Amino acid sequence: MRSEPRASISLKVAAFVGLVFLHAPLALIVLYAFTTEEKSFQFPPPGYTTRWFSAAWFDRPDIWPPLWLSLKVALLATLIALVLGTLAAAALWRARFFGKDSISLLFILPIALPGIITGIALRSAFDIMNVPFSTWTIVLGHATFCIVVVYNNALARFRRLSGNMIEASMDLGADGFQTFRHVVLPQIGSALLAGGMLAFALSFDEVIVTTFTAGQQSTLPIWMLNELIRPRQRPVTNVVAIIVIAVTFLPILAAYYLTREGEHTGGSGK
Amino acid sequence: MSIAVNFQNVSRHFGQVRAVDGVTLDIEEGEFFAMLGPSGSGKTTCLRLIAGFDQPSTGHIRIFGEIADGLPPYRRNVNTVFQDYALFPHMTVGANVAYGLMIKGMPRAEREQKAREALSLVKLNGFEQRRPSQLSGGQRQRVALARALVNKPRVLLLDEPLGALDLKLREQMQEELRSLHHDLGITFVFVTHDQGEALSMADRVAIFNEGRIVQIGTPSEVYERPHTRFVASFVGSSNVLTPDFAAANGGPRAWTSLRPEKIDVLLPGEIPKTGQAIVSGQVSSLQYQGAVVRVAVNVAGTRLVATVPTGAKTIPDGGTVSLAWDRSSAVVMEPE
Repeated sequence: MRSEPRASISLKVAAFVGLVFLHAPLALIVLYAFTTEEKSFQFPPPGYTTRWFSAAWFDRPDIWPPLWLSLKVALLATLIALVLGTLAAAALWRARFFGKDSISLLFILPIALPGIITGIALRSAFDIMNVPFSTWTIVLGHATFCIVVVYNNALARFRRLSGNMIEASMDLGADGFQTFRHVVLPQIGSALLAGGMLAFALSFDEVIVTTFTAGQQSTLPIWMLNELIRPRQRPVTNVVAIIVIAVTFLPILAAYYLTREGEHTGGSGK
Repeated sequence: MSIAVNFQNVSRHFGQVRAVDGVTLDIEEGEFFAMLGPSGSGKTTCLRLIAGFDQPSTGHIRIFGEIADGLPPYRRNVNTVFQDYALFPHMTVGANVAYGLMIKGMPRAEREQKAREALSLVKLNGFEQRRPSQLSGGQRQRVALARALVNKPRVLLLDEPLGALDLKLREQMQEELRSLHHDLGITFVFVTHDQGEALSMADRVAIFNEGRIVQIGTPSEVYERPHTRFVASFVGSSNVLTPDFAAANGGPRAWTSLRPEKIDVLLPGEIPKTGQAIVSGQVSSLQYQGAVVRVAVNVAGTRLVATVPTGAKTIPDGGTVSLAWDRSSAVVMEPE
């Protein structure tokens, strides 16, 4: 018997370099949240302190409005996405009609399009319709791509559901709503949760579409961008970055575990 | 006897395809009725029309005299056993069986009691807490049966319910379904493509081909007196004689069905019974099938098949034999 072919040394090195390239910047973000130097990033940091965490918490009230706005937008966009994405997936799962594939593509397109196109398109659309920029315009912008992840997750799960199960439920006396509640929802629930978490994470750190649809408000990522341009207590930005990593990474991790035994979680790569 | 299900000139078209094409049919109350046909013959569509999953394009269906047009499945007093069972994987077996009662709003203790009774009816006592994924195919089949029967339907629809089971289990379930039908006294409508299953279980059989019913009758009627060439060859196997061949051998000039077991194979020197038709030819193949041997004989270009009980006589492969049959065994069919 032949043993498993082993990766060559050069492949291993290449893989390692790739991983370092991907994750070293993240490590630096975390590292500089603890530096004592506040104006510039010198390496290695001259000393270590945790005072930026307390500074972020106590001395910087300007962090809170963007943080709340981001959370609010992400929650609303996720809710809209959950309802519309599930409905769209359900419709395209059961129906068979001419042009189904094209419609399916149209649903996925917002996540494939560059954010800047979506942003410009939405901004012109809001302008034409005289919609004033507000929290809601940001929410709508985010919903366009949040729907995609929910749709993809829900559709993948729907496809594993036997169509007969819905007929069986109706055969046993349940109407459409009861069938959804007792048979469909329990089976697609974890996929919806995963899709919702991904959508939340996507929305929470979105910058490009937000810049075009935000008007005067700034979400947390935009606040961070501004902070980098005007340096003042620079490590505070890093502290906030760590919080953002935590807030977005945990849902993605959870989504991964929720859908692991099934099909892939589409759209997680944006 | 009242009529459980009545089809009045029912058609169901899918675009250009006529899945069901002008079916008129009465199923009597308490009857075990089989719909038999090859795949795509419209039998399953007919079942779905009764269940309410689909609506006729034209024509009307009555269930116990009541017109069912546009009635959704949850307003019909019929229940279905699905081919793939369609059990709910996120519920226990007990919850699956009690589902219909839960939807009706029956209190928990009462519906759990009824579910237990239904499970014991299908010999699955003590399975309430298991999940469908922990059951074998045969057990799932029984759960699906219990889940339908617990609602006390007046008509039970079965869509190829034994298709996924192995032979041994299938024979056992056939017997159990028969005795369930006998004990419950409700109408069973059974869809199958397996002619043996239909003949052995049903009180009456409707044979479907290309969306139409080509013959309807008791199993012995459709087996002994097939009306068309399709029925003769689909139900059991049969020798279909051309009009010319039939006329040359003492029958009328018409398509004729002759069952292999009705033909005697005579070795040289054996004498046919009086009044039998007789032809001779060369044995072209012998097929041992356990209880019988299938003998294919080439009679001047026409292939006739006869079955002989194993061990009755030794037939030489390639040798010349005579075939004899009673004229009454040759069944004249419709011209089509």
